[in-house]
Amino acid sequence: MSQPRQDNGAAPAWVKAAADQSRLAFGLAVTELGKRDERVVAVSADTLDLIGLRGFIEHAPARVIDVGIAEQNAMGVAAGLATTGMRPFVCGYAPFITARSMEQIRNEVAYADQRVVIGAAASGVSLAVSGGTHHALEDLALMRSLPNMTVIVPADAHEAWHATLATDAIEGPVYLRLGGRVPERAVMPTDGPFRLGRATRLADGADVTVIACGALVAPALDAAAALAIQGIGARVLNMSTVKPLDEEAILAAAEETRGIVTAEEHHLTGGLGGAVAELLAVRRPTPMRMVGMPDEFACVGPTDRIRARYGMSAQHIADACLELTG
Amino acid sequence: MSNRAALLEALRARALRIRRDTWRALHAAGSGHMGGSLSAADLLAALYFHYLRLRPDEPDWPERDRFVLSKGHANAALGAVLAQAGFVEDRFVDSFYAYESPFGMHPDIKVPGVEMCTGALGHGLSIGLGMALGARLREQDWRTVVMLGDGELQEGSNWEAAMAAAHLAPLRLTAILDYNKVQQSGHVAEMLGLEPLADKWRAFGWSVRDCDGHDMGAIVDALDALPAAPDGPALLIAHTVKGKGARFAEDTYLWHNNAVSEEVYEKALAELGGSAE
Repeated sequence: MSQPRQDNGAAPAWVKAAADQSRLAFGLAVTELGKRDERVVAVSADTLDLIGLRGFIEHAPARVIDVGIAEQNAMGVAAGLATTGMRPFVCGYAPFITARSMEQIRNEVAYADQRVVIGAAASGVSLAVSGGTHHALEDLALMRSLPNMTVIVPADAHEAWHATLATDAIEGPVYLRLGGRVPERAVMPTDGPFRLGRATRLADGADVTVIACGALVAPALDAAAALAIQGIGARVLNMSTVKPLDEEAILAAAEETRGIVTAEEHHLTGGLGGAVAELLAVRRPTPMRMVGMPDEFACVGPTDRIRARYGMSAQHIADACLELTG
Repeated sequence: MSNRAALLEALRARALRIRRDTWRALHAAGSGHMGGSLSAADLLAALYFHYLRLRPDEPDWPERDRFVLSKGHANAALGAVLAQAGFVEDRFVDSFYAYESPFGMHPDIKVPGVEMCTGALGHGLSIGLGMALGARLREQDWRTVVMLGDGELQEGSNWEAAMAAAHLAPLRLTAILDYNKVQQSGHVAEMLGLEPLADKWRAFGWSVRDCDGHDMGAIVDALDALPAAPDGPALLIAHTVKGKGARFAEDTYLWHNNAVSEEVYEKALAELGGSAE
């Protein structure tokens, strides 16, 4: 079981610079990889500050290529770069870099199995007041449906940093889902490590299991704490690798607890909940509840109010757990 | 015979064989995209046997020139030229559309000599731009050539790539447009016209040159005139005839993609001056 550690002022520079923003941790990690390896190149779609690439530009201006607001071109350029042995990191807004360039991702990245890492910032409802045009609530469904694609959803800036560094060892395409400007509470240790395809158990409990990713990991921990007061033990798994799934951890949870609640800032169709349900339906049918965005477009408003209104809060997770344990 | 005359004669023979093998592949498959394959045959001959620096026995040679067939539905012609150049064995041509064959309707990166999976239209120029940027970042002097179709220029992504290529220049990047004027459902000018095409590309920051895409001398001259050093991106608009070499299939959308019976195959080969035997 991992717990966040107190940094006591001794935190690495990247922790201070990225603060509570996974998108900035990604940018810093790409910069770090770029310092280690001259093949690393960032391809940005007018997202230099969203991702935090100014440091990379300072270090190696030629290796930060901003193609402007043109996600399809960004993805094709990245794939072309990858064929030459470069290691491109495509940086974009989650709602646009996925849906807008989906065909490029499918064909020249996934089908051609190129080593392209997609850093998708401002996912979920983090661009809250921007409205439904700017929410990314279907990106996991899109990316998870592509063969060869690895799908990672860091729970916080710490995990984003380590996961981004870990992509160095992944031979194929990777989708990294990142947060927006909304603060992300730290739930993972600063010193990692990131283990691809392995869930992290953040809370122990024998009654019910919450499998969460991204922005809903922190609310899942809050729910577990609230349930503990009522005498209900909730195991919390941070399923930061959505593909390939940690089947072992899910099947163990199904066996060892009475039911499974999934929690994600994504539509209820096709995301983490879908992935877990697909596994359990075949391998070990288990009572489940799924916490996520229902089949509608969200209204305009602050992120926390949208999460609460559409059923993506700690309270909703706790209620779902009670349904399974009651 | 002068060296140039000998070169042109050799390239014409190469193009003839590309056309014959294109029909051979389509006949083996029972159907396929003859129109856009035959219009590109002379251009492919000049590229593969005159311009591009390639090593068929070392297809992944790091310093090779890169060629991307953005109009991937002309894959029959690409397979024909790859076989003729020695990237794949001659029998590869007969495996078109065969079960589990890497030689399907569209180019597959798994085939030696194929640089990218293409065929979904409007992708190749971005990919080629990435390759050209890769050359610059790796301090290599390979050249990247992308063959575009005219119909695919209706896809907006081309124009993203065109704008970016001019902005990110100097590069070693050339696009060749197989301007056969016909797309799947009709003539391009009637479906969604492209003109004034050269002006559009010039406005996007490209240098543009026209040539007759079936005049081998003109093609060779145009390729030889491409910049040797990194420069602004260049477009060669090659005016071609859809279905070139089979009169029954020329300049009509009906032979964009069609069935190939024994009768059609014999007729096509006869027009090229030969038979199936």
